[in-house]
Amino acid sequence: MLRTGFLTTVAAISLMAAATIPARAEVSIMYMESFAALIESGIEKFEAETGETVNAIKLPGQGYDQRIALDLSAGTAADVNLIDSFMVSELAAAGYLEPLGTQLAGWDQFQYYLQGLLEVASYQGEVYALPTDTDVRMLWYDLSNFEKAGIATPWAPKNWADILDAATKLKEAGVQYPFQLPAGTKQAEAATMQGVYMALLGADVPEGDRNRLLKRDTNQWIGDSPALRRVFDLYHQVYVAQELNPADLNYATDIGAAVRAALANDQLGILASGSWEDACLWDCNNPPSREERDAQVGWTPWPGSGEPGTKATTNISGGWTLGINANAADKETAFKLLTTIFDEENFKAWTLANHRMGVRTDISESAEYTADPFLAEATGLAADTTGRDTIPGYQTVSALIQQATSDLLDGVSVEEAIETYHNALVDEFGEENVITYE
Amino acid sequence: MKNQANPWLTGNLFVLALGMLPAILLIGALLYFTAWAFAFSFTDLALVGKKSVEWSWVGFENFERLFTRRGFLESLWTTVIFVFFSAIVGQSVLGFLLAATLRGTQSSIRGVVEVCIMLGWLLPDIVAAFLWSATTSQTGLINQLFVVPFGFKPINFINDYALPIVTIANVWKGTAWSYLLFSAALDSVSREVVEAAKVDGATPFQRVWLVQLPIIRPHIATNMLFITIWTFTYFPLIFAMTGGGPGRQTETLAVFLYNQSFSRGNLGFGSAISVAMLLIVGVLSLFYLRMLREPK
Repeated sequence: MLRTGFLTTVAAISLMAAATIPARAEVSIMYMESFAALIESGIEKFEAETGETVNAIKLPGQGYDQRIALDLSAGTAADVNLIDSFMVSELAAAGYLEPLGTQLAGWDQFQYYLQGLLEVASYQGEVYALPTDTDVRMLWYDLSNFEKAGIATPWAPKNWADILDAATKLKEAGVQYPFQLPAGTKQAEAATMQGVYMALLGADVPEGDRNRLLKRDTNQWIGDSPALRRVFDLYHQVYVAQELNPADLNYATDIGAAVRAALANDQLGILASGSWEDACLWDCNNPPSREERDAQVGWTPWPGSGEPGTKATTNISGGWTLGINANAADKETAFKLLTTIFDEENFKAWTLANHRMGVRTDISESAEYTADPFLAEATGLAADTTGRDTIPGYQTVSALIQQATSDLLDGVSVEEAIETYHNALVDEFGEENVITYE
Repeated sequence: MKNQANPWLTGNLFVLALGMLPAILLIGALLYFTAWAFAFSFTDLALVGKKSVEWSWVGFENFERLFTRRGFLESLWTTVIFVFFSAIVGQSVLGFLLAATLRGTQSSIRGVVEVCIMLGWLLPDIVAAFLWSATTSQTGLINQLFVVPFGFKPINFINDYALPIVTIANVWKGTAWSYLLFSAALDSVSREVVEAAKVDGATPFQRVWLVQLPIIRPHIATNMLFITIWTFTYFPLIFAMTGGGPGRQTETLAVFLYNQSFSRGNLGFGSAISVAMLLIVGVLSLFYLRMLREPK
């Protein structure tokens, strides 16, 4: 009897002890290293203001998209997360993200966000994340190598043939990576956006979305089209037929670092990338002066293919966002951290120092922003831009596109790459959701 | 034989069940993940989006696709080559040769060599991957030391010979295990047996082939079992060095599984790949376990 009483007491005390240990009121945030300057200064302010401690999880860019999807689906994600904008609708559809509508209504700076960019971070009319920046895409080129190859600068290619022509000259001049066109699964979204989609938009006429991955009025994925075949052939020409670029940068241990090293060693000719390179070609968090940059690189819009009726130049925009985990323990504190990071003073300083394209009118209409020559020109490109096909399923389609570029780089024929891509789309979405353009 | 068990224990089902509980929990925990993968290999479960919540059963579709779609069979072949050359030929044979050669040497030399072999093993995979990428790139150490000084054009090893390079990297990384195991095994072969063979006129090769190897046969099988399983499912070094590329040249099954599950987001298909891997490794293990048995 005594024993039973003793055991019961021990059990009761343990239970009480477990109940009284306070859940730690720590808020966590996960982000990519390239956004450290924005987020870490926000964290500092947040900690100073609230006295809470923030558990900051900083990760490299390599594999970040996969990590965030996995963490959120496994229920192990941080409270606040930096998320590539294209993933927001899909993560929201799965119920992993917290809808922000009610909390945003009470925040005075919400009114400045550009509507179009909020739509990308929304699902079924509800905002699930706030954008950090947007971007445009272009071809960067190394001035000294262009001079060595005898190509006049500023360079203004009119069509794909001009690009291939320049790449050939660069190759003949001994440049190691004449045309770094992102390809392959390790490049992840970069292969889809900086490579395939930029080319695809100029590969056929825009009517009926013949130059896209998705027919948007019916939400059907395009499994085979003249535009896709032309883009795949461009990859085939660059990596196999004309050997205008070795594949290795696309598979480097740290792709970003490898590209930066190639630029620093004058091994790079043309790089298909985006507006963030204005800072990130050196170090996203410590960019060089305007003069230093202009002495080393130039950029030009991506030209269309040159096929009749296609766009003269193309552009597609993406960007990053911050969202709150639906399972965050203390959503109010998480939201407080979010608004501290996005508080005008902190957000504006980062946007300007990093030459990021503004997502809020109070920043993008400020005198300092409009005076920046790079941002002014890039904003010009943004006048004619488009976004990804961010309906749920995009991430899968994008992965299949990356796989197709991998196969092409391996020497697989355009015909076979198209067939594989088409079959995989049918596997994922069913025959009725996949169409072919003759 | 008389039942020795306590009659109070055998008569009390509740106590018996309670006693079995830890064992059941342990076995359950071990089976849980395999059962999970097996069950979901028959579904279209996705990582994100609607299908991550509202998945449905698709029968054997995922398994059919292993054979009707590009990827699995190619990756299987890449894996077989990788396992054969890096684990079975590389690590095992090299480990044995090192162990056999170093047995007779001075202990100080042996110590130095052992430390060197161990360094590769002790280094974290990601650090090793960076080292190997940097060493084998066009501007890397090998080109700077052995190619360019002799007037040749630098070779982009990691790009042009991706599979051989990751194979060599894995041999470098994993030989220590085989070396240690064979070292211990050879120590267990009694000196008298070897001396007797010598007296009978056996050549050094015959002493190894006909005397030592048969004695350490179970050790060889154990070693093969371990390194085959490890290498078959090995991921970090290859993924960090090449990400499976260029193209699909180094896409082993582990990398293929990762890409399908977490990039493409198709967990159902990913599960089917893992079940297939489980079966293949299982069959190989059975083969090695048979080797472990003493010959009749």
